[in-house]
Amino acid sequence: MTTRTAAAPNRTHWNSVLEATLVPALLVFAWQLWAMTLATDPRSPSPTHVATTFVDLVSNGGLIGATLQSLGRVVVGFGLALVCGVVLGLLMGSNRRIRDIFDPIVESFRPIAPMAILPVAILWFGTGTPAALSIVTYAAFFPLLVNTVHGVSRVDRKLVLAAMTMGVPRARILARVILPAALPSIMLGSRLAMGVAWTAIIAAELGVGAKSGGGGSGGIGQMMFVFYAYSIDLNAIVVCMIVVGVVALLIDRLFRFVEYRLMPWRH
Amino acid sequence: MNQETAMSKLRLRNVAKHFIAPRTGQLTTAVTDVNLDIETGEFVCIVGPSGCGKSTVLNLIAGLDTPTSGTIEANGAPIVAPGADRGVMFQDYALMPWMSVHDNIGFGLNYGTPGEGLTREQREKRIRHFVDLVRLNGSEKKYPHQLSGGMRQRVALARLLANGPDILLMDEPLGALDSQTRLILQVELLRIWGETAPREQRKTAIFITHDIEEAVFLGDRVVVMSTHPGRVKAIIPVDLPRPRSEHIRADPRFGQLSDEIWDLIRDEAYRAIDGTEAPAGPKATAVEKVE
Repeated sequence: MTTRTAAAPNRTHWNSVLEATLVPALLVFAWQLWAMTLATDPRSPSPTHVATTFVDLVSNGGLIGATLQSLGRVVVGFGLALVCGVVLGLLMGSNRRIRDIFDPIVESFRPIAPMAILPVAILWFGTGTPAALSIVTYAAFFPLLVNTVHGVSRVDRKLVLAAMTMGVPRARILARVILPAALPSIMLGSRLAMGVAWTAIIAAELGVGAKSGGGGSGGIGQMMFVFYAYSIDLNAIVVCMIVVGVVALLIDRLFRFVEYRLMPWRH
Repeated sequence: MNQETAMSKLRLRNVAKHFIAPRTGQLTTAVTDVNLDIETGEFVCIVGPSGCGKSTVLNLIAGLDTPTSGTIEANGAPIVAPGADRGVMFQDYALMPWMSVHDNIGFGLNYGTPGEGLTREQREKRIRHFVDLVRLNGSEKKYPHQLSGGMRQRVALARLLANGPDILLMDEPLGALDSQTRLILQVELLRIWGETAPREQRKTAIFITHDIEEAVFLGDRVVVMSTHPGRVKAIIPVDLPRPRSEHIRADPRFGQLSDEIWDLIRDEAYRAIDGTEAPAGPKATAVEKVE
């Protein structure tokens, strides 16, 4: 009995690891097979070439620096969007008048893709960090705003009434009742926003890089552009793609962890 | 103003509340002609079929809603807004799901007017006192979703009392509980309200319920309301001695009072179920009570 209960979690742990790695391993294997047999172009990427390119790119320092630069922009842009989105969302969600005033503007800007404001961003901010940052902030703002408004409008009205009967002032009800009650929605919005922010930064850096002819944006997106437009290095592009994917996965896991810590009552 | 009415803790005069449906614009009268005087330290129960405006009356006294006409006064001053002097216990408790038992009980003390002028230690001491009073020691760190219905109800009661309100307003607080827990908490509620204390030291309490026997067991008076429109049909004084124990249910007077109240509501109660008329029969005989 005791041995069984001790062994059980171990076995399930290994099972889940096996299940999670099975499909990727098969894909990599098939890819390698294709590169070694069917691929005719010598520049075709293969897992082994990608791996050596990865080591190269890390050791000459470019990849890590570029990734961190992109990540830094995402974090700052997300932070700006978080503050703006949550503050405006709380006001719009809790005050009908404010919602009526802002709703038409928000709803008409929301469908405009972040990349569509790229020309304007470049005109206003040039090709450096401010342009990329403005696009990331723009992209992350809407999921945060919409989910905050939704969360606030769905707050159990009884909780607000209860606070009122305990002599809690209005502003404090916003901070102590409405904000925590809407937190699950805000966290959902944050996760979505972080996802689109990370997508938008790569696209923005690619786009800005194209405009400036490899000039000044920096970041992993521009790195990809350089490999595409100048050295035509497919292996390096695949390395960048994988890094982007892995970073996105790590961000998502980090958010789940934060969610778990911020909302212990949900578990 | 004469001496007698000036002493009332709560005074409702010709109170009416109409609602306008947002889309159709149709006017409905929730309550009308409500006249009620409640004295200090009195425990008043309000019973009536659903839709009689019991909760509306409570919300008006709480200041969460304003009457369309008529006046409501507490201690001689008109009620214009919610205030911590009139504590409310909601039907589904309205506990903050993100807060522990301890923080829920201290909510008003930490963020509202009841905590003004108190140091952190004083507030903590007070929270401790009410945790003890409702017997929740050892569960302070739990969240509401980890508690049973009866425990949540105690948290709500402790939160209500920790704010030190002058008047307790309770909207079917025991409605969601199973009948055994309910009987136990009724006794406990009377103990906490101050049944054994002299009258002037007791809180003034208004308790809404749809359970007639609960109303008779708890109340000094039972206000019976009727529907269409919601109004006060009768006010029945409960002349049972205090302190009351579970055994008072065996008292013949308890049965008489319950029957008397049931007779006042039975027609409407039957109509509320499926539109049928109440079976005709001699009054106050064993009408089947669906409890």
